[in-house]
Formats: sequence, structure tokens, C-alpha cells
Amino acid sequence: MTTTVHAPTTSSSHPSATRRLVTAELRLLLRDPLTLTFVLAFPIVSMLIIGGSFGTDADAAFPVDPTQWYVASYFTVVIGATGLIMLPVHIASYRERGVLRRLAASGFPRWSFALAQAVTGLLAIAVSCLLLLAVAAPVYGVPAVEDPVRVGLGILAGSLAFVSIGVLLGTVMPSARAAQATGLLLFFPSFLLGVGGPPPAVMSDVLRSISDVLPLKLVTDAIREPWLGIGDATGSLLVVVVIAVAASALAARRTAL
Amino acid sequence: MNPTTTAIDDHRVVTVRGLTKSYGGRVAVDRLDLDVSAGEVVGLIGANGAGKTTAVECVQGLRRPDAGTVRVLGLDPVRDADRLRPLVGSQLQSSSLPDRLRVGEAVALFSTRRARDADGLLERFGLAGKLRSAFGTMSGGEQQRLFLVLALLNQPRLVILDELTQGLDPAARREVWSSVAQLRDAGTTVLLVTHELDEAEVLCDRVVALRAGQVLDAGTPAELVTRHGGVVTTRFGTTSDPAGVVHAVDDLTGVHHVEVGADGQVTVRGDRSSIAHVGAWLVGRGSIPADLRVDVPDLETALLRLLDGPEPLPTIPAPTGVLR
Repeated sequence: MTTTVHAPTTSSSHPSATRRLVTAELRLLLRDPLTLTFVLAFPIVSMLIIGGSFGTDADAAFPVDPTQWYVASYFTVVIGATGLIMLPVHIASYRERGVLRRLAASGFPRWSFALAQAVTGLLAIAVSCLLLLAVAAPVYGVPAVEDPVRVGLGILAGSLAFVSIGVLLGTVMPSARAAQATGLLLFFPSFLLGVGGPPPAVMSDVLRSISDVLPLKLVTDAIREPWLGIGDATGSLLVVVVIAVAASALAARRTAL
Repeated sequence: MNPTTTAIDDHRVVTVRGLTKSYGGRVAVDRLDLDVSAGEVVGLIGANGAGKTTAVECVQGLRRPDAGTVRVLGLDPVRDADRLRPLVGSQLQSSSLPDRLRVGEAVALFSTRRARDADGLLERFGLAGKLRSAFGTMSGGEQQRLFLVLALLNQPRLVILDELTQGLDPAARREVWSSVAQLRDAGTTVLLVTHELDEAEVLCDRVVALRAGQVLDAGTPAELVTRHGGVVTTRFGTTSDPAGVVHAVDDLTGVHHVEVGADGQVTVRGDRSSIAHVGAWLVGRGSIPADLRVDVPDLETALLRLLDGPEPLPTIPAPTGVLR
């Protein structure tokens, strides 16, 4: 069999550096077991287990059907896993192995890597969330979205915030191992206290106070409350937007080639 | 030489004048002058920490010099990075690719509009059958050959190769040397950074020896051997009158010292020209000894003497060519 590399041409159709990077990054993403485990499999499996553990009736702990509570909540697990585990480990390994220097020396435009990571992270979140809904639908059903605009804003701002935090973490961690350890350390408390663990109503005051200031909890509130019609979460949404803007600016600066 | 008095020549591929770079008070490169002309393979050599990599990183625009001027193809590597980097192909030290990236994908990723004949390059460097191989599964030699393909992909006007054979076994090193020799034969301008002296001797047209960020000496490998290689030793056996042999050989051009051992072995020490004169004398006598042996220092010997010497040379002779 003869295989040919699609040799670039001088035509204007030659893909831009950012597009080439995004294409390569998406391919690598699909081959990365850590990503497939934490961003795809973990949220879905956890949702299936936790979602079915508390019945289907609202009570003092759950203001709505617990299955719906958790389906809406686990959207944020995908966002957290992408920002706190997938991207930091990926980018730190690039720095550690000198891939970023290679890209810089090869003439990739200054912002191309930051853009490629943002696009890759957002696409990973979008695909994982759709898969999560596809799995949830036949098992627990997908709760009706009460306020689509606010939910959309919450998802967008939350995704941007955590993709940027992930990129930022990846640039400050000295190695992929350090990034993985730090990411897991940040992810699991956020996951248990702010997203997929017990509902706030059953937490102690101390745990609830901690939970209330976790960025991932704010993203969860900004998505879950307008989705289930249990609040508008304007305050949480505004804080998430501020985090998104600040983290994006810092991340772009840190990843300039 | 005062580096600031030396003019920049924009016709050269690389021109460096008075380049200085420090890290936290430690001077890595100290007033380096360097020129590379089109079609040359120039080697920067020295021990680890000599400042070689810092110097080429400044040439690539990956580091900003503290002082001095760097021009590559007439451009400032930092200020004009966007224009310059597409014109330079680089193999960076300690720089890798993602393990799961395949050869074909790496070529597609690094191909710009200037890229030509990727298939031909892969063929030339023996990777045509490896398109679907993941980088992490390739041998060290194959990885380095892939870096060469990527460095050459976009028709660079300058190729910078930093410790290209580091960590490779002898067979893989020969393999990569052969690839670089192909570049040289094709007229590609190459700046080669290495601490492997035999590598520099095999591949480089000219060599710049660095220690503690300073140029110790520069020139062609032959010039450096002549200047720093020490004496050539010629040995042969004789049954003639020892005093007569010593007297006759000692008068030959290029001979520094002659002695005859108790076993009749004549040892002649001198410069390179002594080889020809001793040979001619032996031929003139009508008999060439069967045990004639000549020991000629190579570049490695010369540079080890230079690099391991107690002090940098007080004055650096201006070699032929453009290295100063």
C-alpha cells in the first residue's frame, strides 16, 4: 500500500497554523486515555451511579427530582474535568517535553497555541456534555431547560473560565506529574462539594461555606438553577464571567509562543 | 578584537556581534562574534555549559540577548520573529513531539505554505514507510530523522541543529550523520551545535570552540588541528648509523625532534609537513621501512587540548574565512 502525505501547496487553501494545531490536538485528545477516562467516562459513570441513588422524589435535601438534579449537575463535572485535569496535564507535558519551544521556533503564530487549546477544550466539553445527555436521556430523562439563555450563558462562561484555568495551570506546573497531582487535588474536592456529591442541604455549615466559594460550585449554580427553575443564580453567573475574563487574559498571556 | 567595531554584514546568513547573555549573574555567552555564510556547515562546539545552546537560542529569537547584535538573513530574531522563524528550520535540544502524534500528522502540522515535497523528504530520510508510526514508538535515530524532515520541510534558508545525536547509540549516530552530510552536499546552510568532537570533524566546514561563553578559537577542522593538535609522530626502524640518521632527519623541514632507541626505532616529532619530508627522505634513500607508522592528531585531540587547557588563549588568530 502506498500512503502519501498530503503535501502542502502554495494555494490559499492551505490551512492556517491554528487550524493545523487544532486538528492535531483533537486527534491527540482522542488517543489520550486520561482524557477519555476523566472527561468522557467518569462524568457519565458517576452520573449513572449517583443519579440513581436517591430515588426520584423531591424532599428536604433535593428541591427537585434527584435524578434531574444530578443530570443537570454533571454537566459541570465535564467542565471541571476538562479544566482541572485534561488541559493542565496536557499543556504541562508539552512544556516539559519542549513541544512549546518547538512550536515557537517553527514559526507558529504567537497566539495560535492558546487559541488551539481553547478550541480543543471547548469542543471536548461540548462533545462530552452531549454524550452525557445522550446516556442520561434513556435512563433518567433529560430535565426541561427552564431558562435556556441563562443556562447557555452559564455553560459558555463556565467552560471558558475552566478551559482558561486549565491552560493557566498547565503553564505554571513544572511537569505533567505535578499538573496531574494538582489537578486531581483541585478536582475531587470541587466535584464532591460543589457538583456531584451530596446536595448542599445535607452538608454541615463548614462544608457548605467551603462549597459556596468553590469556582466549580458557582458554575454549577449558574447552570443548574436556571435549568431546573430553582433560581436565576445571577450572582454566581457574574462571578463566573469575571473568572472567565481574568483567567482567559492570563492564560493567553502565559501561552504566547 | 573589539566586537562593536566589526560591521554587520547582511549578506551573511548569520551575523552575531558582541552577543552577551547572563542568567542570574552567571554569564552564559560572553561577547560572542559569529558569522555563517550561505551553504556552510558551521559547528559550535564546547563542553556542556559552554554557552552553545544559549547562543543558538538567541540566534533563533527564543532568548533576548542582554547585549550585542544578532542578525539572521538580515532580520532581528526577536523583533522580526514572525518573518524570520518560517525561514529557519530548527532541531532544538531537549525538544520533543507528543508521543501519540504520527509521522504523517507531524509533517502535516509543521507544513506551512512554503513546504515542498514532503513525500520526497520522508523518502530521503527513510521514513516513507513510517507515516502511521506514533512518535513515541520510533527509535531514537528515527525520531532524529523525523526532526530533520520537519526542520527541512518548509525550505528553510538556515537549519539549526542542536545536539542532534545526543543519547543515540553509535549506529543511530552514523545514520543521522549521514543525513546531515546529505544536507551539506545539497548546499544547505547549517549551524550545528554539538559537544561531540568527532561529529564536528565529520560534518562541519568550520568550527567555533566555546568555553565559558567565550570563543577559544575558530577555523576549519584542519586549521584547528594544525594549531592545537600537537605534533605529528613518525616512527620507523633503521639499521643504519643512528647518529647519521638523527643528523639527516633533524635537518628536514618541519621536524622538531628526532631520537633513535636502543632497538633501532627512529621517532620523529614535527608538524604536518614533516610527514612529507620524512617520506621523501626515506624514498630518496631507496628503501621504505616496512614498519613505517605515522600518528596524526585528529580534531578531537586538538579540541580536547584546547578545551581542557588551563586558560583561554590570550589572542585568537583571525582564521581564514569569516569567523572572527
